[in-house]
Order: sequence, then structure tokens, then C-alpha cells
Amino acid sequence: MEQMMTSNIETIPGFTITKSLGVVSGSTVRAKHIGKDILAGLKNIIGGELKAYTELLTEARTEALGRMIMDASQRGANAVVNVRFATSSVAGGAAELFAYGTGVIIVEG
Amino acid sequence: MLLNYSHTAPASLLSKGDSLNSDEIGELFGLSFVILSATLFIVFPFFAFIYSMLFARLHQSKAIKSLLAREANIMHQLGGDNLHTLSKPIPDRKINESGLVIANITVAPSWWQLFLGGIRSIFGGNIVSFDKVLAYGRSEVMQRLREQAIGEGWDEVLNVRVETSMVMNKIKGGKQNKMGTLEFLAYGTGIR
Repeated sequence: MEQMMTSNIETIPGFTITKSLGVVSGSTVRAKHIGKDILAGLKNIIGGELKAYTELLTEARTEALGRMIMDASQRGANAVVNVRFATSSVAGGAAELFAYGTGVIIVEG
Repeated sequence: MLLNYSHTAPASLLSKGDSLNSDEIGELFGLSFVILSATLFIVFPFFAFIYSMLFARLHQSKAIKSLLAREANIMHQLGGDNLHTLSKPIPDRKINESGLVIANITVAPSWWQLFLGGIRSIFGGNIVSFDKVLAYGRSEVMQRLREQAIGEGWDEVLNVRVETSMVMNKIKGGKQNKMGTLEFLAYGTGIR
């Protein structure tokens, strides 16, 4: 299967949407293991960027996006338009990352 | 046999006073460990606070300086910004390909800044110390999006959104722990 096309605008430029397949979504909840959590806590003393968390969230978001794309391909979509992200802090030190969009079928032209 | 026993017993009692047996050594070690860890718990935050007061500004201004340099460099290279919040491409622009571009950063204020912010929030008004951290985080994430877009070969990025959320905060009994970790996320559609 070819790579799923994604965009956060209402169309995929250069293509025409022929059918909308509804909302597709993917989410993941992640927490850092305690060692890195403590190190990040130490880094917190001087502030600035916390690289461990940045990496964790990048990883998690990629996974959420991957799940969304899998959902879209299961419905038979070949593109996802208007992708949005939402982040929320759930129980102790964990974060939920959520990606959603509209699965569509597109044709060239 | 009885005699023999009564002779040895006082001797063993006497020797106990001179050198420590294994039980007492263990007790002493345990006690010193408790005292040491207690002092560490009291002293460490104090020194950490002092350290934060002295070096946080230095550390953060270094990051801000490098950010400004990278920003100026990219602006000079492209002759303008490659991020746009337009939701549609300019009508006569030819687009061959498009794709999602994402960049993020996690920042936190230092202990000293948290302390200053805490004091400031009693009187209200502009909290300068948090302002700095947030401004840095937001500009940095925009800069990362620019670099990411250039790295992936996109000419321009449309419909850029910047989101802020609090993450990784430990919630204790319904009250948030004041760690203040913020995540900035910027994303858009790259075109070429």
C-alpha cells in the first residue's frame, strides 16, 4: 500500500476528494520510567528544555498518528485531511496524546 | 562443667563493652544512614535553589541566544518566513506534493523563576519570569518547525497551529504539583 497522505488543511492540494469516510482517530497514553523522571526533575532546577520529555512526546505523538493512519486504512481511506492534535495530562506523570482527522478517498486532478 | 561455664560467662560480658558486635554495628550504621539522608533531604533543595538562582539565567540566556542566531540565519537564507497561517494556498501557486510537519518542545521554569512567579502572583500583574520561559518555548518550537520543514524539503508550511498544554504534572489529591512543565506543539502542512 502506498503511503497515506495527511494534511491539516481541508484538501490535499492537487487532488479531489470523492468520498468522506468520517472521523478517524488514534490515541496513546505514555509515562516516563522513574529514572528519567528523576533526571528530568533535576533538570527542572535550572529550567529550560527538558529533552527527555520532548523525546517521549515526539515518540508518543508519532505512535498516535500511526494509529490514526491505521484506522483510516482499515476504513479504506487513502488520505486524512484536517488532522488535529490534542494533549491532556491524565493521572500522575502520564500524558495522553490524541490525533484525529477526516478519512477521505482522493483522486488525482 | 558448671564451674567452667560460670567462668566463661563474665568474660564474654566484659568483652562486649570493649568492641562492638555485629548487631550494634548494624544499628549504628542504620542510625548514621538515617541522619545522613535526612540532612541530604534538607540540604539538597537548599543548594539546588541557590544553584538555580545563580545559573538558571546563564543557562537560559545561552539557549535564547542560540535560538535568535538560528532564527536570523534562516530568515536571511529564505528572505522571509516559511510559515503561514493561511488555510488555503495562494490560488496561482503550483503544488506538487504536500504533507504534515510537526515539531514540539517541553520547557519548564527554573525553581528560582517559580519562586519569583509565586511571589508575583500575590500582587498580580505581569509575571515576567514565566513570560520569558513561555516566549522562549513558543519561538523555539516555531524555529524547529521551520528547520523541520527545510530538512524535509518543503518550500512553505500552510495552516500553522501552535498549541500549549501542561504535561507530566503529578496530581496529588486533586491539587496539581507546581512543576509547571509545558509542552508546545507546532504543526502545519508542508507544500512544494
